[in-house]
Amino acid sequence: MTEIAESFTNQPIVCDELPQLENLTFTDLSQKYAPTHRLVTLLTTVILMLVLTAIIYQPFAPLPSEAVSVFEFILWAVGGIGLMATLYNSFADPKKLYALREQDISYQSGLIFRKTVSQPILRVQHVELKRGPVERKVGLASLQVFSAGGSLHTFEIPGLNIDDAEQIRQFILAHKDINQHG
Amino acid sequence: MDKSPALGEQEPTEQVPDIASADENNSTHKWQRISPIALIYFVLMFIKNIFGNIVYLAPAILIGYSKFSEDPAFWLPFVYGFSGLIALSAMLSFYFFQYRLSNQQIEIRSGVFSKKYTNLPFSRIQNVELSEPLYYRPFGYTCMQLDTAGSVKQEAKVVALKKDFAEQLKHEILAAHQQPDGTDENNESDDESVTAKTTIADEEVVDRRNLDDLVIHGLTNNRVWLFIGGLAPFIDNISDKVSEWLLMFGVNVEQYFAFDGKSGWQIATAALSLALLVMIPITIFSILGSIIAFHDFKLSKVGDRYIRRSGLFTKNEVTMRLSRLQMIVRQQDWLDVLLGRINLKFEQSNANYQQAQPGQLTNKIIVPSVTTKECQHLINDAYPENNLENIQFSPVSVRLLVRNVLLFLLPFTAFISALFVIKDKTDSLIFVAIAACFICFLMYMNYRRWGYAKDDNFIYVRKGCLGVDYYVFPIYKVQQTTFKQSWFLKRKQLCSVQFILAAGAVNVPYVKQADGLNLIDESLYEVEYSKRNWM
Repeated sequence: MTEIAESFTNQPIVCDELPQLENLTFTDLSQKYAPTHRLVTLLTTVILMLVLTAIIYQPFAPLPSEAVSVFEFILWAVGGIGLMATLYNSFADPKKLYALREQDISYQSGLIFRKTVSQPILRVQHVELKRGPVERKVGLASLQVFSAGGSLHTFEIPGLNIDDAEQIRQFILAHKDINQHG
Repeated sequence: MDKSPALGEQEPTEQVPDIASADENNSTHKWQRISPIALIYFVLMFIKNIFGNIVYLAPAILIGYSKFSEDPAFWLPFVYGFSGLIALSAMLSFYFFQYRLSNQQIEIRSGVFSKKYTNLPFSRIQNVELSEPLYYRPFGYTCMQLDTAGSVKQEAKVVALKKDFAEQLKHEILAAHQQPDGTDENNESDDESVTAKTTIADEEVVDRRNLDDLVIHGLTNNRVWLFIGGLAPFIDNISDKVSEWLLMFGVNVEQYFAFDGKSGWQIATAALSLALLVMIPITIFSILGSIIAFHDFKLSKVGDRYIRRSGLFTKNEVTMRLSRLQMIVRQQDWLDVLLGRINLKFEQSNANYQQAQPGQLTNKIIVPSVTTKECQHLINDAYPENNLENIQFSPVSVRLLVRNVLLFLLPFTAFISALFVIKDKTDSLIFVAIAACFICFLMYMNYRRWGYAKDDNFIYVRKGCLGVDYYVFPIYKVQQTTFKQSWFLKRKQLCSVQFILAAGAVNVPYVKQADGLNLIDESLYEVEYSKRNWM
């Protein structure tokens, strides 16, 4: 046997040494997100139901009886779906998490079908903060990150505190790779 | 910056004195018009725009037609007026369309009422596409479409240029594009771009397609839409003619739908012959479509650029830089498998082409119906380090098959059987059983086809059912990854993985959780560590 120089090592490179998705430490969304989301879903449902009721019972142009039964069915369907959505959201919203690493950003969501999307920052093309009227009122923002993957795969984190969202946006924009390697 | 030497050398052979002379004195770049041949183009565009809205106009045309046949003389002035309007609009569009070349950039002014001004530096142009409609060919003109990486709005089209001039301009644009790009990449690719520049004239033909290949392609692939796309305005007339023609041969379509008092076998035969009757014209149209789209197909390579030329009526030329290539797809339908042919697709970023019609093939280079050997040669040419031929694919979990059967096949079969039992047609259950067995077989084949593999540079995905598709993409081209796991999958330690590329998403379902996480971790590492540009 030939002698082996002491400095020589040929350890197998184990994948454990790579940064791992499994070991990500996720952060919760804003405390305000879940209640706000619940409220918005409920309000939308109620408004839709009110509009439908108004259509059915308005005295100006009475609907034919078949149309009324169809509209009534839609009314209850909207109500049912709204309620289900609210129920689902109240369980699913606390499970929405995000994680920021040096090189990428990940977002985890879903109650039964869990999904973790990871977006390397150097592939980011541009970043947007989206704030609807309700979000502005309570100081929340959604962060949208666009890559060349197309609009179907826009990376979005909803319900961030505006300060956090702004900070993440700055972090992405200031990332040294983003300006060189679109 | 001065013009590239390639353009300078070829200038004496220039056949278009007006454009060339304007181009020669660099200091006085004047606004110039395109050739009057473009009038035809503008007329056709106008008509095409109207027919594009045919859905909205159809009732008006129908009413108009019956009115017109009642009293043609009364409506004649309107017809003249309309033709006049088309001619006038074409003339105005032509008059206001001007372009100017200066300082390595192209400026275009166009529009009659709403003016449009486009300014494109050559270095920003990603893609140059030349297309020669039928009516340009006798005169040697061509349309030049310039794409940028940005939005659709930024692209420009120079409607009629002399062919030689367009070719030179293309070379100049692409050469200009290489210079800034070569500097921020590493040395190796810098050398490549230099050699590419010096040998700009010699094109190496990588692949050609003959007529028999195209017939096979039409047979195995439904290219009907390519054919129909061109005939859309006349489709009603054609379908009328077809049914008349069928009646002439004693085929009465209605009799096929009179099921009363016939046995199951009679119905089955009728269905089969009806299917054949539909399939034969579709196949013929498909072959025609394939020939129209891919006639005289030539794939050539200049430096790091692929150039595809094809088309019977409108000749199309698409140029793609190798670095723009996002993914190679090797597709085989079941007929392709039998005939041993493969459709090879070189896919580019499709972000710019979301508004494109399905009939347009611009964003990818399809090489139709190549043989296995040619296919591997082409793949190796684009990705020399790929290992598609020899790589071992890992299968996905058998639970995918179990899920498909339990979740989709069983409930559906049960529902249909229940219907038959309630209707007291128990003898028809045999057909349900046969259909269920067949679908089960398809699901099994689908499960067997799924496979994935990874080496140092590439990820390979195999899928299909009776046919088989292979997807090959360099890991560093990944834009985004998704790890999916339902509650049931988590219990079985399985997961699904999705890679999002600029050319689309690639799924790998039902792999072991550890393997799926590994795939994602390694891909992210490769993307983030190598920091290579995806374009």
